[in-house]
Amino acid sequence: MFKLVKASVPALVVAALCACGGSSSQTGTTSTSTLHGTLAVDPPFRIASVNAATFGAQLGATASGAQLLELAGAPACGVDFYYITFWTIGGAGETTKSSGALMVPTGAAPACSGPRPIVEYAHATNPNKALNIADITDTSNTEGALIAAMFAAQGYIVVAPNYAGYDISTLGYHPFLNAVQQSGEMMDILAAARTALPNTLASATSDNGQLFITGYSEGGHVAMATLRAMQAAKMKVTAAAPMSGPYALEALGDIIFFGGVNLGSTEFSPLLANSYQHAYANIDSTTVPFFSSTYPNVETLLPSDTPIDTIFEEGLLPETALFDMTTPVVAGSAELTALLGVPPTPALPASQQTPIFDLGFGNPYLINNDARVAYAEDALADPDGAVPTPALGVPRAAVEPTFGLRRDFWLNDLRTAWAPESPTLLCGGIDDPTVYFQYNTEVMAAYWSSLPAGLVTVLDINATPSGAFAELQGAFQASEAALLAYYQTAAGGGLSPTAAEEAVIENYHVDVAPFCTAAARAFFSQF
Amino acid sequence: MKITKLGALQIITLLSAAGFSTAFADEPPNDVRLGLYSVFYHTSADDITGPYVPAGVNLKAENLETLYVGIVHHFPDNFALELALGYPPLAKIKGSGPATVGSVPYDGQVISGARWISPTLFLEYNFLPVTAPLRPFLGAGVNYTIFYDRNPTAAGNAASGGPTRISLTASVGPAVTGGLTYRISDRWALHASYSWAQVKTRFTGDTDGFERTSHISFAPQALVISGGFSF
Repeated sequence: MFKLVKASVPALVVAALCACGGSSSQTGTTSTSTLHGTLAVDPPFRIASVNAATFGAQLGATASGAQLLELAGAPACGVDFYYITFWTIGGAGETTKSSGALMVPTGAAPACSGPRPIVEYAHATNPNKALNIADITDTSNTEGALIAAMFAAQGYIVVAPNYAGYDISTLGYHPFLNAVQQSGEMMDILAAARTALPNTLASATSDNGQLFITGYSEGGHVAMATLRAMQAAKMKVTAAAPMSGPYALEALGDIIFFGGVNLGSTEFSPLLANSYQHAYANIDSTTVPFFSSTYPNVETLLPSDTPIDTIFEEGLLPETALFDMTTPVVAGSAELTALLGVPPTPALPASQQTPIFDLGFGNPYLINNDARVAYAEDALADPDGAVPTPALGVPRAAVEPTFGLRRDFWLNDLRTAWAPESPTLLCGGIDDPTVYFQYNTEVMAAYWSSLPAGLVTVLDINATPSGAFAELQGAFQASEAALLAYYQTAAGGGLSPTAAEEAVIENYHVDVAPFCTAAARAFFSQF
Repeated sequence: MKITKLGALQIITLLSAAGFSTAFADEPPNDVRLGLYSVFYHTSADDITGPYVPAGVNLKAENLETLYVGIVHHFPDNFALELALGYPPLAKIKGSGPATVGSVPYDGQVISGARWISPTLFLEYNFLPVTAPLRPFLGAGVNYTIFYDRNPTAAGNAASGGPTRISLTASVGPAVTGGLTYRISDRWALHASYSWAQVKTRFTGDTDGFERTSHISFAPQALVISGGFSF
């Protein structure tokens, strides 16, 4: 007994000394390297882990989730949602840290573990700076839920950046529609995710080498730019499916400045100006003031921690009025005056003629008429190959434009003497009032019209159902018809048929997303 | 932490010094006791808060037994000073609350182990004369608890979302005790006591920079059965 006591007391003292040293378990290792593509913390943090049954039950608990389940199918796999941080490069070449999601399928089924394909997804424009697409516990993260249900729960490993400028990013701006930066960030998060994958809690799931690239709206542009960048880097891409993206950015910009104002343009404009000012320093330097003095500091407004509705309510940004309702008259240029004063040709979707498009003009307005005229003068002198008059091959302008914003559109337009080498699906909807199908998807299809058949597939989700995607086309159109009918019921607001049509069109761009995403999955499943 | 170490050493030194300077003829002034420490936790804790923690996630501690070591110095007649120590036990912290977090099992899972050093200094009053074979006693004092070897289990890391660094702040709180001494001979005795201490700590789990916290009150009650040698 005494021996025990003698042994124990020193042991206690030793233990006390150890306690003073503070031994403890360790958390993830923080990388000392800031080289782009480096995983910042390894292993990554798992936000949530749900099995297939739980995920299905959680989705099914809401009306929108139930609709998503109907489209995506019941989850076959559980999903682990990891939050990854990684180093990348900003729009002006800054070394910066960014974040995103790594969604890993789990479960005993063969399709849920072992070697699995990767889907890399680029999200749509989001005004919420706090966006974290990995946070499946956030009920406002509908895009995260969409890709989890559509891809991860069906056995795909999903990698998706939040983008620099969002979440933990301290960059101070978002490199919006900056093709080089955003494609670089996609490649960086992919490298980081591949580093992280073997060290996750779901390490039974691994990369099988197949890589699919997709994204919606802004993310459609990012996805296509990423395909281009990966091809240039000799990386193997199995297939790609950019969706509803502003690929032919110069053509889209021209049609907007000529008067075809798209829905959401007042939200996109500050993001564009801030992004391009940082990358090219040619927005503020122009002698023509770009933004109306009614909206000071608008350039740095988005993304924001303040809800976009509050920003509109507080008058910090006009909700729809991009341009002055008084059409500018350009002295000495009847052609330009006419171009700015008539609806653009070829005509935008029939729905463009509805009153909601008139909302693009008003007073107060966001962009000064002088800037609009200067842009249009540049466009007239150095025309885009698709707007206003389609030229053979619909190329972007032959010469680098001189007006700042138009030059930036030209630089980030994806008609740059390249073509997909992997099977590519371009999905969208013909009536899209936000990212015009005719001036983006159809322009790219025309630009690549000489490619071998089958390499690029165009899918208009609104077209008469036919072919491999007929079921999805039919489902989308039935869904839109149901919405139109719903808005005319008492529960839907009792709108008139015209108002109901406007309500449907207002949501059209968002409504297309799940159907095109389902088409992308069906497309990828062939490989 | 340095203060802690010095404090413990100082107490031992003071006890030793007191023992050698206040010896009296009819009772050896010092005891060393060795026995079994059965600790019963009555844990209460705030729900854990922090990023990505669902409502109702809580903690509790599992009861344990360990080696008891006591050093006692008797003052003339009825008062004594006891330093109660235990061999640092491995306490198991269990999840309490929802059956699963997401789909990860939680309730009842051992999510972390932690060792602690928990010396308690009691001032005790012994009833009846020194010569009585059976002497009840009551005491009150102060407990100091520090935690180390705080290691989450695989289940804990799974629930937390990855490898987690756990910290538990040191605690200082009141303690009370009551018991009986049965004197076998001049040198040997048996002791039984039941004690309560207030042990409160702030729990912080850090997983890749995401911190989750809770305030935990362990409120341990301890049954001690020991044998003592007087010198």
